[in-house]
Amino acid sequence: MQASRFGDSIREFHDDGPGPGNVLARLDPLLLLATLGLVAASLYVIAGATADDVPGNPYYFVMRQGVYIAVGILLMLVISRFDYSRLRELRMGIYAALIGLIVLVLAIGTAARGSRRWIEFPFFTFQPSEFGKVLLILALSAFIVDRTRKVSARETTSRIMLLALLPAGLVVIQPDLGTGLVYVTVAVALLFVAGTKWTHFAALAGLAVVATALALVVAPKVGVEVLKPYQVDRLTSFLNPSYNPQGEGYQVSQSITAIGAGQKTGRGADSATQTKLDFLPEHHTDFVFSVVGEEFGFMGAAIILSLYALMIWRCLRILTTAKNLYGALIAGGIVAMLMFQIFVNVGMTIGIMPVTGVTLPLMSYGGASVITTFLALGLLQSIHAQARATAAAKGREAFV
Amino acid sequence: MPLINRRIGLLFAIFLFLLIGAVGRAAWLGGVKADELGSRAASQQEAELVVPARRGTISDRQGNELAVSEDAITVFANPFLIADPEGAAAQLAPHLGLTAPDVQAKLTEPGRGFVYVARRLPPDRGSAVEKLEIEGIETLVEARRVYPQGELAGQLLGSVGVDGFGLAGIEQSQEDLLHGSEGRQSVVKDALGKAISIDEHEPAVAGQDIALTIDSAIQARTEKVLDEIGEKYSPTGATALVMNPANGEVLAMANWPAVDPEAFGEASEYDRQNRTVAASYEPGSTFKAITVAGALEESLVKPATLFDLPPSILVADREIGESHDRGTISLSVADILAQSSNVGAVKIGLLLGAERFDAWVREFGFGDGTGIDVPGEASGIMLDTKDYSGSTMGNLPLGQGLAVTQVQLASAYGAIANGGLLATPHVIAGSPPEFRRVVSGQTAKRVSKMLEGVLAAGGTASEASIDGYRIAGKTGTAEKPDGYGGYSDSAYVASFVGFAPARKPELLVAIAVDEPQGSYYGGVVAAPAFEKIVEFALPYLQIPPE
Repeated sequence: MQASRFGDSIREFHDDGPGPGNVLARLDPLLLLATLGLVAASLYVIAGATADDVPGNPYYFVMRQGVYIAVGILLMLVISRFDYSRLRELRMGIYAALIGLIVLVLAIGTAARGSRRWIEFPFFTFQPSEFGKVLLILALSAFIVDRTRKVSARETTSRIMLLALLPAGLVVIQPDLGTGLVYVTVAVALLFVAGTKWTHFAALAGLAVVATALALVVAPKVGVEVLKPYQVDRLTSFLNPSYNPQGEGYQVSQSITAIGAGQKTGRGADSATQTKLDFLPEHHTDFVFSVVGEEFGFMGAAIILSLYALMIWRCLRILTTAKNLYGALIAGGIVAMLMFQIFVNVGMTIGIMPVTGVTLPLMSYGGASVITTFLALGLLQSIHAQARATAAAKGREAFV
Repeated sequence: MPLINRRIGLLFAIFLFLLIGAVGRAAWLGGVKADELGSRAASQQEAELVVPARRGTISDRQGNELAVSEDAITVFANPFLIADPEGAAAQLAPHLGLTAPDVQAKLTEPGRGFVYVARRLPPDRGSAVEKLEIEGIETLVEARRVYPQGELAGQLLGSVGVDGFGLAGIEQSQEDLLHGSEGRQSVVKDALGKAISIDEHEPAVAGQDIALTIDSAIQARTEKVLDEIGEKYSPTGATALVMNPANGEVLAMANWPAVDPEAFGEASEYDRQNRTVAASYEPGSTFKAITVAGALEESLVKPATLFDLPPSILVADREIGESHDRGTISLSVADILAQSSNVGAVKIGLLLGAERFDAWVREFGFGDGTGIDVPGEASGIMLDTKDYSGSTMGNLPLGQGLAVTQVQLASAYGAIANGGLLATPHVIAGSPPEFRRVVSGQTAKRVSKMLEGVLAAGGTASEASIDGYRIAGKTGTAEKPDGYGGYSDSAYVASFVGFAPARKPELLVAIAVDEPQGSYYGGVVAAPAFEKIVEFALPYLQIPPE
């Protein structure tokens, strides 16, 4: 049944009309617009910000980001033509792959700046924890679909949470606190969309508070280091940025300075001194939004946020039109992932969120982040395409 | 699926809430706070730097450098960038000559992006700091004032403060010439403090070099002689002035104890003072020559005029005696000077009378600064004649009851040595000599000749002599005022002023020793010092014997 529907889609594609324009015709055009707008902005901003970073090679970062984006777009287009529903059958395999990759990276990964997140290949490095976000969404959504009838059972909530906490815990050990938090957020969002009872969320919130207190206050006193000292600094410094200007607060303070100095319309790439003179740390990765703020001012920041708003709106729209619960859950997980990353990252750059090392989807430089986001967008487009196909099959007009 | 839709609605609401928060915050930063944050960005990246001008060199008349500026390394820190202040302090401290806790305190100064850690280190220590390559520790080149001859002429040269301004002595008085004018630069720096671009608004203009009339060799000899006096008589202080009476050039200006210009601030205020110009003291018998010169010029006496001198003389309520008791004798004016008779000087002074005495004393330059180009000159203390009491004229002719500076006394003797022409004393080379006639050539010659007698047999300094040269001079042994209106019988100023060769003087030396212990006679304490300085300087300056 699944296979035949897959076959139908291919035929449908051919029937809709020949020509290359049809490759795009099945995609959600507004989501595509937001996606392409953001990657264009990413290339433009990274080109300006990193022109002086690698001596003799002003295009070092922008060329690589261009390749990541090209690969990402290709993957997105391919995935959008498959029926995501097939992946449900592979849930155990996907989950096993997720855990296996994270364990593998702990075992043989390359350490950089005190954390072990990457696996080195001859031509590229592979960061399984990023890729794992999508795997987790696919696996957990499938597990929830399995228990649709028992969705309000306490056992469902605890089982799903434990399934998320295992990889989250392993990722935090790397240590990559930000990605661990993405995993937990995704799990909570999936339960939320599935209809888990409010009392369960209240209980989870209580547990989270107790766990945080144990990790930050009790554990250090008994000599157990749950979080590395720099992680604790990062989490607490945003509450009081001037407390330690030499530490994590320095980055945030420089970021705020950059965004403020950009004023309403920005200073342009050449006079963006916070970026050019390296006052702004990680200006092509974690703090790329601050570069936008400095170079293009509030206007630039507003345009980027608008593109994200468009993207999230389209994601939610796709969520509501999904042909089945699995699709809705996947879309919900992806929306949660994107929202969490966008607001934690942007919040960090404007000084209202802690520094957690979460990248800005599509904007931040980095292959793992870019390609993972495109995988997620490919799934969304697939959900959209499947919904349209189903609606067409039922003789109804798909609403766009 | 109404539940799903409700929840999606809620999700969308959360999203909108966060979006509005983010947009609002960005607008707040980019709009309301924009100016403040923009200037914060500019201030941490751009620095207006003052480029110090190279300070002029001070050298002696032979071109020997007395004060020069050399490059020095100043170490500063950006505490924001120092990850491990304790470790950095431990590494730095030995190179800076500071303790590790002191350095650490500077490296952790709160809220500052620029702190001086150590200023003006010698270049080798500065480059040792640079080699440590500690992030957040930077160096810059500043100038450092060094005095190659050490303590030589310390009080005359003065000192330069840490900010490059002269604080005392020639360094202060010639500040305008020596300093030059600072340049201004604006420097754009990156986050690691590396200069990206330098924009020079105004180039620095180096200060001018200054040559002094001082001769390092004579200065050194003079200081050595004062050292010996210091050693032997443990006085409070001692000063000496060597000049050429023919043109007013000061060849040596020495104060004991010596001070090191590089550690000027550590010396006491008394030691730092250039007392050859700044201190006033009662000259005592050296002043008798002035009294005699006035009387000669007024034709009241001749060198051979005889005076009958009782053992003491009463002026109003004050009885003036001799330093050594004697019976009534008859002495010529020349002998009065040679033997330094108090009674004889008073008789000559009374012959002049208060008004004429006062006029001659002022004519010789007392009571007013000599105009020497050294800062801090005092004008001495001279009573107004209307304030004289009945006994005043019993004091003044002996050099008591008035105060003079050593430079005043030296230039007055210079006029006697120079045929009646007083040359304004000066230490900056190149200024043309200024002269003022004080007495006639004949009077000057007569006084000079009488002063030769001081050093001849029967004079108060008969032990002093220099082979092949005739020398002239006068001893002084002044009781210091006791602060209660009378004079101390234990505190003296022993002094000597003299010149050589007596008939064609090119060298004049004044020495004053404040409160010598053991002996206090000018002839014993100061005259040998004169001898030692002149003995060296005459052949050194290739002044031929007569």
